[in-house]
Amino acid sequence: MKATRSYKAQKVLDRMGNKLNRQMVASLAACVHCGMCTDACHYVLANPGDPTYAPAYKADKIRKLFKRHFDWTGRVIPWWVNAKSVYTDEELEELKDTVFGKCTNCRRCSINCPMGVDYATFNRMARGLLVSVGIMPEGVAVVSKDQWEIGNQMGVLKEDYLDTLEWLSEELVDELGDPRAAIPIDKKDADIVYSINPREVKYDPRTISDAARIFYAAGANWTMPSEGWDMTNFGLFSGDDDLGGAVARRLYEKVEELRGRKLVISECGHGYRSTRCEGQNWAGYDLGFEMESSVITMLRYIHEGAIKVDKSRNTEPVTFHDSCNNARSCGLFEEPRELLNLVIEDFREMYPNRAENFCCTGGGGAMSMAEYTPLRLKSAKIKADQLASTGASYVATSCHNCVDGLSDLIKHYKLGMKVTQLVNLVAEALVIPEKEVLVPVEKVPAVSAGPLDGYKILVVDDEPDFVSFASAILEDHGASVVTAFDGNEALEVARRESPDLITLDITMPGKDGKEVFEAMRRDPALESIPVCIITGQPELRKLIYDRSVPPPNGYVDKPISEETLMRNVRKILEIKQKVKK
Amino acid sequence: MSHLLHFVEHTLQEVALLIMAIVYTGRLIWLMHYKAGKERQADTGNGNTSPGKGIIYSWFNVAMPWAMESSRRKIFLYFQFVIFHLGVVAAIGLSFVIPYGPHLLNSETLVLLLQVVIGLAFLVGLYRIIRRVSNSYMRAISSPDDYFSLVLLTVWFFFAFWAVPNNTAKGETILLIYFFMTAFFLIYVPFSKISHYLYYPFTRYYLGKTLGKRGVYPVKHYPREVRG
Ligand code: SF4
Ligand code: SF4
Repeated sequence: MKATRSYKAQKVLDRMGNKLNRQMVASLAACVHCGMCTDACHYVLANPGDPTYAPAYKADKIRKLFKRHFDWTGRVIPWWVNAKSVYTDEELEELKDTVFGKCTNCRRCSINCPMGVDYATFNRMARGLLVSVGIMPEGVAVVSKDQWEIGNQMGVLKEDYLDTLEWLSEELVDELGDPRAAIPIDKKDADIVYSINPREVKYDPRTISDAARIFYAAGANWTMPSEGWDMTNFGLFSGDDDLGGAVARRLYEKVEELRGRKLVISECGHGYRSTRCEGQNWAGYDLGFEMESSVITMLRYIHEGAIKVDKSRNTEPVTFHDSCNNARSCGLFEEPRELLNLVIEDFREMYPNRAENFCCTGGGGAMSMAEYTPLRLKSAKIKADQLASTGASYVATSCHNCVDGLSDLIKHYKLGMKVTQLVNLVAEALVIPEKEVLVPVEKVPAVSAGPLDGYKILVVDDEPDFVSFASAILEDHGASVVTAFDGNEALEVARRESPDLITLDITMPGKDGKEVFEAMRRDPALESIPVCIITGQPELRKLIYDRSVPPPNGYVDKPISEETLMRNVRKILEIKQKVKK
Repeated sequence: MSHLLHFVEHTLQEVALLIMAIVYTGRLIWLMHYKAGKERQADTGNGNTSPGKGIIYSWFNVAMPWAMESSRRKIFLYFQFVIFHLGVVAAIGLSFVIPYGPHLLNSETLVLLLQVVIGLAFLVGLYRIIRRVSNSYMRAISSPDDYFSLVLLTVWFFFAFWAVPNNTAKGETILLIYFFMTAFFLIYVPFSKISHYLYYPFTRYYLGKTLGKRGVYPVKHYPREVRG
């Protein structure tokens, strides 16, 4: 009897034929099952005795489909070469757990295969096939949707982006006492168009102001685009070449519209790889301008004498983590080391390193796939051991994804290290000559009152620890805080207290955050109160944004730092940070 | 020499070679009908890397045990790989020497050399069978073809070892088995994993080109062997 195949399974097989190219076919056909790649994978090393993590084992889940439908022997005598088809959606779900959950596409096995089998490449293809039939981790769906619809992968709205740049710009002008320190937006004919990761706007604006400080000190003719500024590209992770092409094209077209001479890509491994090394191929786009990593730009500024640095300002021991996408897929590994040695005093090499480095375990989009977090953290043991053996107190990396992955594992394994980026270290070491300061700064007296003085904030969360943490921070900054631990209580307290802002968790017992949020938005007494969602489950984001009520005023993922909480609260309340001099 | 032995040494081998050549050509046409990806971006990396250099490096990577962590860390596996493949070359070479240049085997040195190489390859074959059966990681990735190909080659080495002296005075059985096996081997190879050497130039070409364009190959700096 002929087995019936589900619609999705059939589509996956049909589309596989279109996706295969010669390189992939050779890789799929050439594996001799020698096992040399096994120990190259951090999943294998962290899960001893479990062969299901071996790269060749995982690759065979895709290979068996290829053999059954495209390879001669597999079509004639499938059992002889373990060729097998796929029939049900459940089997596709299982494949999803392998290609998304057990591999970060780090390519470490590829460079350790004597045959040159590039598993990561066809693993990405398999991801793309599953995504094309809607089978993917929830987080991947959410982030891809944001990048398609809003234009960046964290759903940062244009006004929030521009607000942040304006706020940073004002701070820089105040600090440096020079109006030329402002961040230029949409300036035509600039030498440099600077593109960033939306994480910088949302969680790490210091990296933007540090870069701006460096451009200012170098006297660069630079700009940031008001749109099309996101150099990250979830298409790399989801395997969706259409998304990859659309995102890359958006950025390239913006640079051409501004007549920029060079696109500088801030420190992000997958962003650099997507924009610099793959985007043109996905988009079918030939460029009229150059592209480079900001690491190379900063290094050139020092070599050319455009900026001066004093390494004695960075005395703590620092090690360097090579992002897989930068090092193994773009060859960017010597420049960051050269730059580091110019701006820090104590560099500690990590072993293995460069193209042989281990993945931070947050790569391949893993940070957005909450369902695989326990496995990710278990597999991070390899990286944790690597970090610990350096004896460094800081780990620098040129990738925002790695910043998150490393921060998470450092916390999990209690390593007590801090994560930083090269731009922060260069900015720290930057010497800005006195004569550069044109306009004397009127010193603003230290403000003793907190920036949240006079504001009442309602913190809603079922975790008492989080409520205490957030309340303490907000109170320290002058706010008066009221709290609620479930949905019903939240509505009751909100009606009674009329706070200026509500921070709201999504997952709570009883009435959950989604219902509470909608109820607030529909209640005339509460509808105008700003709401900032703070959740540990980013995959639930679309449940909030898909509601037929105005969206929340802020959205922050846990874990959350004091700085992130305060920045989001201040931004929502439109309070300018007071400069203490 | 019997008619049968003459037949298997000549006609059978030639037919088997012809079949292999036809199937291989078909395989190559099949592979080439898939499009090769186009790279539009400028090269990354410093001047030491380029697609061309990457390809050369990638092709010869197999002869540089220091170039990959997997061979550096498993140097024993690397050397047994070398011996096994030298054994294949020797045993294949033997199937040409016996029918077309038997006088070469008058040299005792050559006979000894071939027997040492093929004998060691046979021992490696035995080791590989044990490893494939006893190691759970290897079992998990092995198909019937993997087991059969390995056993086939190991048994073939055994008969090749005894066939090297080409001595028909003590009977033709060994030579007959060796040549029948060689013919089977030649016909079976294109349908099995043993055909990997057909793909090797392609996989390594594309990996080398990709990583050369992206500034990774050739690797200049190998990390010290320390794993934290
Ligand atoms: S090293 Fe290469 S040929 Fe060997 S099992 Fe791994 S992918 Fe296959
Ligand atoms: S690409 Fe990386 S994570 Fe995936 S199997 Fe290979 S080594 Fe493991």
